[in-house]
Amino acid sequence: MNTAQQTARVGLFFLLGLALTWVTWETLSDGKLFKQTGYSLIAGFDNLKELKQGDEVRMAGVKIGSVERTRLAGRRAEAVLRIDPGIKIASDATATIVMAGLIGTNYIGLDLGTPGAPVLSDGAELRTKITPDINAIMTELGNLGQKLEGALGSITTTVSGDGKNPGLFQKLDRLVSDNSTKIDTTMTNLAAATDKINKGEGTLGKLLNDSKLHDELVATVSEIKVAAIDAKSFVADAQALVSQVKSGKGTLGALIFDESAGNDLKIVTRNLRDISNRIAKGEGTLGKLLTDDSLYLSAQSTLKKADRAIDSLGDSGPITAVGAAANVLF
Amino acid sequence: MKQLTHFLEGFGSAVQLLFQSARYVGTLPRQRARFIDQCYVIGYTTLPIVAILCFFMGSVLALQSGYSMENFGAKQFIGSLVGLSFARELGPVIVAILVAGRVGSAITAELASMKVYQEVDALVTMNIPPARILVLPRLAAVLVMMPVLAIIGNLIGWFGGAVVCKYVESIAIEPEAYFSALRRYMKFQDVGTGLMKAEIFGFVVVLICCSIGLNTRGGPREIGASVTKAVVVSLISILVLDYFVTKALM
Repeated sequence: MNTAQQTARVGLFFLLGLALTWVTWETLSDGKLFKQTGYSLIAGFDNLKELKQGDEVRMAGVKIGSVERTRLAGRRAEAVLRIDPGIKIASDATATIVMAGLIGTNYIGLDLGTPGAPVLSDGAELRTKITPDINAIMTELGNLGQKLEGALGSITTTVSGDGKNPGLFQKLDRLVSDNSTKIDTTMTNLAAATDKINKGEGTLGKLLNDSKLHDELVATVSEIKVAAIDAKSFVADAQALVSQVKSGKGTLGALIFDESAGNDLKIVTRNLRDISNRIAKGEGTLGKLLTDDSLYLSAQSTLKKADRAIDSLGDSGPITAVGAAANVLF
Repeated sequence: MKQLTHFLEGFGSAVQLLFQSARYVGTLPRQRARFIDQCYVIGYTTLPIVAILCFFMGSVLALQSGYSMENFGAKQFIGSLVGLSFARELGPVIVAILVAGRVGSAITAELASMKVYQEVDALVTMNIPPARILVLPRLAAVLVMMPVLAIIGNLIGWFGGAVVCKYVESIAIEPEAYFSALRRYMKFQDVGTGLMKAEIFGFVVVLICCSIGLNTRGGPREIGASVTKAVVVSLISILVLDYFVTKALM
């Protein structure tokens, strides 16, 4: 191999090394060596958790950029996001830090926002929302576990007792031990009763075993239903009647709700009372008729005379009858 | 005590050789042919063995990590594990060990032979410093070639891991996912750290091999002993330096 060939090979080899170094740099630096594409947005959080430079920015699960850098800005932390060119983000889109794995892999997740909302421009600030991270969840779980432990302890104390007071099971055991004879008797009676019911004896047994009784019961229920329907109809009619009365229609309505009719009734009542008072006092024809017996006596005398006149008429003929009558009457 | 004396003597000799060579840096453009020749030997001819070894190291690393990480459901991070391991540690160390075994031994053998057969003495007699024409081109060549070998070794190692991840059924991770994980958790700083380590290791290996070769005394039997000593000292130096350099660069 001549010197020229050797030199060429070495030169080529060195250039290959340089090219590979450049490719590696470009790949691992996300092509930021010579150009910066897209536009940047700012997302402020109270805590960036495990978010770091180079983490992905995803919208609806699709990668649309990366975290350019993280920084402190006053009392909060900010992530500067580099969004790919051509990606439009609505101004009401919300950014959250999403945990992609349990070993500290995070990314920024953006929702789609409202269609038609204004689009964010370079340097704008995104809305953000805090989501609980694994530490907060574990703390909550720990608190929940403590509460569960306390609740279980209370249940255990209730069931098993606390040494001084007997627990639920101990009380039950004592109850059963003390009343075992009664319980046996009760169970025997219950067995006898169920046996009778099973054989169709007694009302309950017949009710359960006799289909005729069942049919009658069904028929009774049907009649009750019909009666209920009639009652319902009656109630409806009564309600209609009451409403008519309330509206002042009809005699009863006028009597109850018409003020002039009430006044007339009062006047009539007063007049009747006056009349009855006068009658009681013996004033007027009817009062005298009821209290003074002279009219009765005169009428009785008159009737006796008339009776005698009629008797004489029978004896003296019609002409004398007229004369007799006139004689009697005048 | 004698061992310590030998160690200090060797260390001092290497440092002295470094300064002597540095004094002649200005003559490097005139030694272009020697420099190219050393670049060819150190870089170009070492590439095949570096490629083969790095490919299989990457494959084995992916296979072992896939086997282990499968147990706790973290297979998707194999890419970042292989990538970071190779870029920061395995790549520079493997390349340096290969350079020590293949190039360093050859350098020591060549310089020890020249020393034993009094060629070095002849150069000194002709007022040609051995540090200028025998050591400086090699040191310059290794400084240029080591990063190239290391970056190629890294890429081939990553590729080996990707091949295993795709074709081994128990792992079955697509190259897109593998390289995505690799990119997500790696920065160029990691690769740069590895290249710097490779540079340091290669330089130290060549310096040690040159120093031991030029300090060979005795007959032809000493040539073999010097080669063995140069390789052993180089390997130990690589691993000791690895710890301190890694700690310094963290």
